[in-house]
Amino acid sequence: MKLHPVEVLSREEHGRHVLLRYRWTGAAPEPGQFVMVRPERHADLDPFLPRPLFAHDYDGDTMNLLFEVRGRGTALLAGEDAGLLVSTPLGRGFEIGGGAAVALIGGGVWVSPLKLLSRHLQDAGVDHDVYLEVPGDAPEAYADFLRTRYEGATLVETGGESDPSQTVLDHVGDPARYAALYASGTAAMLGAVKRAADGVVPAHLALRERMACANGSCYGCAVPVWEAGEKTYGRTCVEGPVFEAEVLAW
Amino acid sequence: MVTRPENVPQLEALAVELCGIPLRTPLIPAAGTLGKEALEGTGEIYGAMLPKTVTPRPRAGNPPPRLAEAPSGMINSIGLQNPGLNRFLEDLDVFHAAGLPLFASVAGDTVGEFAEMCRVLAGDGRVSAVELNLSCPNVEHGGGTFCAGPSTVGEVVAASRETLAGSKPLLVKLTNDGVVGNAVAAEEAGADAVTVINTIPALVVDVGERRIFLRGGLSGPAIKPVALRAVYEVSRAVSIPVVGCGGVTSGTDVAEFMLAGATAVQVGAGGFVREPGVILDEFEEYLRDGSLRARDLPLAIGT
Repeated sequence: MKLHPVEVLSREEHGRHVLLRYRWTGAAPEPGQFVMVRPERHADLDPFLPRPLFAHDYDGDTMNLLFEVRGRGTALLAGEDAGLLVSTPLGRGFEIGGGAAVALIGGGVWVSPLKLLSRHLQDAGVDHDVYLEVPGDAPEAYADFLRTRYEGATLVETGGESDPSQTVLDHVGDPARYAALYASGTAAMLGAVKRAADGVVPAHLALRERMACANGSCYGCAVPVWEAGEKTYGRTCVEGPVFEAEVLAW
Repeated sequence: MVTRPENVPQLEALAVELCGIPLRTPLIPAAGTLGKEALEGTGEIYGAMLPKTVTPRPRAGNPPPRLAEAPSGMINSIGLQNPGLNRFLEDLDVFHAAGLPLFASVAGDTVGEFAEMCRVLAGDGRVSAVELNLSCPNVEHGGGTFCAGPSTVGEVVAASRETLAGSKPLLVKLTNDGVVGNAVAAEEAGADAVTVINTIPALVVDVGERRIFLRGGLSGPAIKPVALRAVYEVSRAVSIPVVGCGGVTSGTDVAEFMLAGATAVQVGAGGFVREPGVILDEFEEYLRDGSLRARDLPLAIGT
């Protein structure tokens, strides 16, 4: 995997999340694509694997990544002066059609790819409503960030209920009023969106999986899919990370 | 130590020969680590192509999770997901187009399946050699792998050697457990080379959920010293070539494996985290700095 050294422009903390911006004039990311990243100061292969992160936003020369610091790998990425090595944008992103309004749904704290998607929908003249979960244990700084980052979005606070995904979907309402659903988030949220959209509207789901090669070689990021009527495993890195809901054999 | 004259062309310095097959470099992708989507530019790096292990029939592989990171490495449990031999042969032109010798890695559930696959591949003009995957830790054959012991190894190698009909070199990929005895058995049964080693059985425990998260094979730099030891011991116990494999992430690693006795070196998980082309460049620089040729490295150190 070729990783390019890039100039980090800023690192902003928003609760446990970090918004990392770097200069990027290579291939433009499509919404839903991801990049493999590694802190340059830790290019000695510790941690061993680069991390896959969704392209959060891109304006022509600046790439934005948004991630929650969850372990040593992401903590190192968030560190000041850590430097950054990145791959080109990878994988299959969201398909954008024209015409009628669509809904963007973010579950848990995994809303990253919806920003770039929103930008592209806006450019394509597609009306869209954005629904983002704010889990009860999310820091207020994160909620504040979402309010400014996703202007006009419906923020749905969850916490305590047995099915937070349904709480978000209650705000979305009847899926049939949208031409398509686009979702990013927890497995529970993606599963709930798949069920809600089934037989009603197309749903495009951005999956988060552990990855190693990120180029289709290792089959490590497999998810169950239907292929010619049979259940098999698709690779999130090349056949995804965005899958059509009906393809996923969940 | 053998040195090479000044001004030997770089390509000649990198070239090795494995079982009579000229390789322009000693690097070979380890089975299951170079897919058809990632082939661009690799024809300039490797000495041979080696696609993912194929089985007689399609295999869906293991359910996720299939990956975990480990200190200096990773653990995988793919379970030999592959489209089966027929589809494999349909797709083989993509690998053959690289213009390099093409090695096919095969696995089966029975001795007969190994032998039958060798029979098919013996008649395929695109395939230069066959590597028996006797050691995948993520599939079960009645509770063990075909690396269970010398008699099992000897049986499957002999049957495969017979159907491969002497027309093509037969490599045998072994796990670390009992590697010397298994390598000797493979040689006695007609193997032309042994690949040492496959991933090492490993376990990941999720203490939060109090469950086994992953049962798979460890690869990466964490296993390199173990693999080096295996290559060193095996190369002294057999007279056939040894292909080194296990944790190669740099040109220095390649040199270490060759000095330990390997004729060629496979790059696996290391190719996920560093560019194989850079690994080759580093190795070439090592040769140039020492006025060395790759083919002279195996066993070029004192014992």
